[in-house]
Amino acid sequence: MSDLDSIETDHSASRRRFLTVTGAGVAGASLLSMFDARQAPAQIKGTSLRMLIWSHYVPAYDVWFDDFTKKWGEKNGVNVRVDHIPHLELPARYAAEFAAGAGHDLMYFAGQILTGHYYKNLIDLSDLADGLGKKYGGWLESAKSAAQVGGRWYAIPDYFISIPVLYRKDLFASVGLGEPKSWEDLRNAARQLKPKGHPAGMQFSHCNDANHNWRGLMYCFGAKETDASGQNIAIDSKEMREALKFSKAMYEEGMTAEVFSWDDASDNRYLASGVACWIHDAISAYHSTRVTNPKVFEQTFVLPEVAGPAGLKWNVGEPNVWAVWKFSKNVPAAKEFIQALADSQKEAMQASLGYNMPFLKDQYKKPMPYLGNDPKLSTLQEQAQITAFFGFPGPMTPAAQEVLTTFIIPDMFTRVAREGDIEGTMKWGVGEIRRIYAKHKAT
Amino acid sequence: MGKVTASASPKQNGLLAEVLSGRAERLRWTRTPTARRYLFGYTLLAPAVLYVTLLVGAPFVFSLYLAMSDATVGDPVARFVGLENFRAAVETSVFYTAVRNTLVFTVGAGILKGLLGTTLAFLLVQPFKGRKFVRALVVIPFTLPVAVSVLGWKWMFDSQFSVINWALSRLHLIGAYGSPDWPVWLGQPALALASVMFVNVWRGFPFGAIVLLAGMTSVPPEIIEAAKVDGANFLQRFRMVIVPMIAPILFIGTAFDTVFTLSDLSIVYLLTNGGPDGATEILPTLAYNTGIRGGALGRGAAISLFLFPLLLPAMILLLRTLRRRQY
Repeated sequence: MSDLDSIETDHSASRRRFLTVTGAGVAGASLLSMFDARQAPAQIKGTSLRMLIWSHYVPAYDVWFDDFTKKWGEKNGVNVRVDHIPHLELPARYAAEFAAGAGHDLMYFAGQILTGHYYKNLIDLSDLADGLGKKYGGWLESAKSAAQVGGRWYAIPDYFISIPVLYRKDLFASVGLGEPKSWEDLRNAARQLKPKGHPAGMQFSHCNDANHNWRGLMYCFGAKETDASGQNIAIDSKEMREALKFSKAMYEEGMTAEVFSWDDASDNRYLASGVACWIHDAISAYHSTRVTNPKVFEQTFVLPEVAGPAGLKWNVGEPNVWAVWKFSKNVPAAKEFIQALADSQKEAMQASLGYNMPFLKDQYKKPMPYLGNDPKLSTLQEQAQITAFFGFPGPMTPAAQEVLTTFIIPDMFTRVAREGDIEGTMKWGVGEIRRIYAKHKAT
Repeated sequence: MGKVTASASPKQNGLLAEVLSGRAERLRWTRTPTARRYLFGYTLLAPAVLYVTLLVGAPFVFSLYLAMSDATVGDPVARFVGLENFRAAVETSVFYTAVRNTLVFTVGAGILKGLLGTTLAFLLVQPFKGRKFVRALVVIPFTLPVAVSVLGWKWMFDSQFSVINWALSRLHLIGAYGSPDWPVWLGQPALALASVMFVNVWRGFPFGAIVLLAGMTSVPPEIIEAAKVDGANFLQRFRMVIVPMIAPILFIGTAFDTVFTLSDLSIVYLLTNGGPDGATEILPTLAYNTGIRGGALGRGAAISLFLFPLLLPAMILLLRTLRRRQY
């Protein structure tokens, strides 16, 4: 996943204009009819609502979102203020607001899901979650991981970002390969195409994508981070060793040392430059390539995920959830807003260019907004079946969050790719993770 | 104040009179010019004391409290755990990597900034056409917002589009993109650490040069001339005349730079976030990722407090040397 804004090229202005116009068009066409569908209670009229949200990777979505909130506020007599900040700055902001006991009425966990940390200080939103579940055919199982603690909903899932495989059909065909079905197919393609100047790439570094991608491969190989309760680590397994062994081979045969330096946007550039034969990234890479290199874009295809050796397919997405502080001054308006936004999921997904994947089952009815209209992205309509989040198969506990933010999993893959010592790496990684879980159990 | 009553004994009355006379004496003293001078002085000092107490002292005490508690970002009611968080930190191998990198980063960057800053100061003290313009130019790295300048360097170190690599390649010093000798600045462990140090040096050495320049311009030219007449060469003049005369400024500059470098989070966080595999992990990034992003405030605070024993001896040494020179 990466920031569309961060790929500055000569074409950035026209891309931004394209995205902005798309967002504005969607907003204008649909907002009025949406708001007619639901009337908020009179008690929120004349109140104020301050919300904190990240700056979306797709600028058009923020345009739509800001317009949506403005019109929702006007319709319901609520003075709404939206503060967008980069997602990496959000954790420090949460900590500051919590320490001060004051801040936004409605906030957003993106990137770092801290529901498990803050739940004692968050409003229990189970009534809202249950209502939404009933209305839209129930929640995906993975939704609970990000939003529930002890069976109660302390956050409301908004959407997740999937991290699919993006591959070059023409390059695969040039070595006689068709659509990849498995990690082994991806490895084989990279092995054949690297000597021709088209290696593959996945980040072996301290960035979000490294955390997602290597977990995706791990889970496809049958490795687990914890048990289903999320309390006991389960990473010390044969499957994890196989995943590490495979990643080393895949790196040596099909990648270059560049991947050790990559950030979240590097793989976007790698694809757009025409070098990569495949990458594993959010569809921001697909959209940015459309603008920066149309020829490459024509040949870029998207797959929800590829399978591990036993046919397992898990894609590690990035969830985004709403939460409400107990000290929020306007809980009723916050809940009304979440409800209104959930009711507008179709428009939101369209505005995000198919980026915002829903958490509610009925919202996967085909054709899904945007994805259903793009033949190459339509494959992502099956994403609900294979989405997992960090800590899998357990929930995103505070311990799992710390393992994520200290990059232990990507570092394990990096060590093996560089040094090849699987047992030494397992000893180190399992030891570090065990210490973290032990500390969290003790507190 | 109690009343002097007729029923009190003569001894009690004597004591009371003594106390009252002492108070009256003190009251008289507060009206003297000396007392007023003291009062005025302390009044002027008070904002600084208040500032340091509130913005330095209180956070420091608070971080000590956090480091000895099991506080998390979401749990304000923390238990006292003694030195447990410090023990937990030293048990991990990442911590030792971070300490090593922090020391290499601080000492290495400090030496380079000292050398480059001194050289630049000597160049800038010479009279030449456009000196004011050049002086203004060299402070640009120091004055640019860190996020802007570091993102610029991130592009220059990019694995694919690095302008440095393209220039080196055009000069035939390295191969073309994709060749084995194409440097991956932020991906190879030694190069990655050198790169983050380089950016720190690039940002910081103009500050050193300016500090040194300010000191050098305060040295009376006749002293330098006298040294020249006595046959002192350039290095002798620098070592035996200029340095002793500007030592207080140099010490303060060094102290500031050491503190800034040791606690510099932004450059590493924006360039590599401590990767790959801890190659550029320093104590501030480890503390931030553990304490704020990971939510383990107590352990994050404990990791950050390890900066304190690293910094304390250096500061004591500098300030003692400075005081010895002043008296």
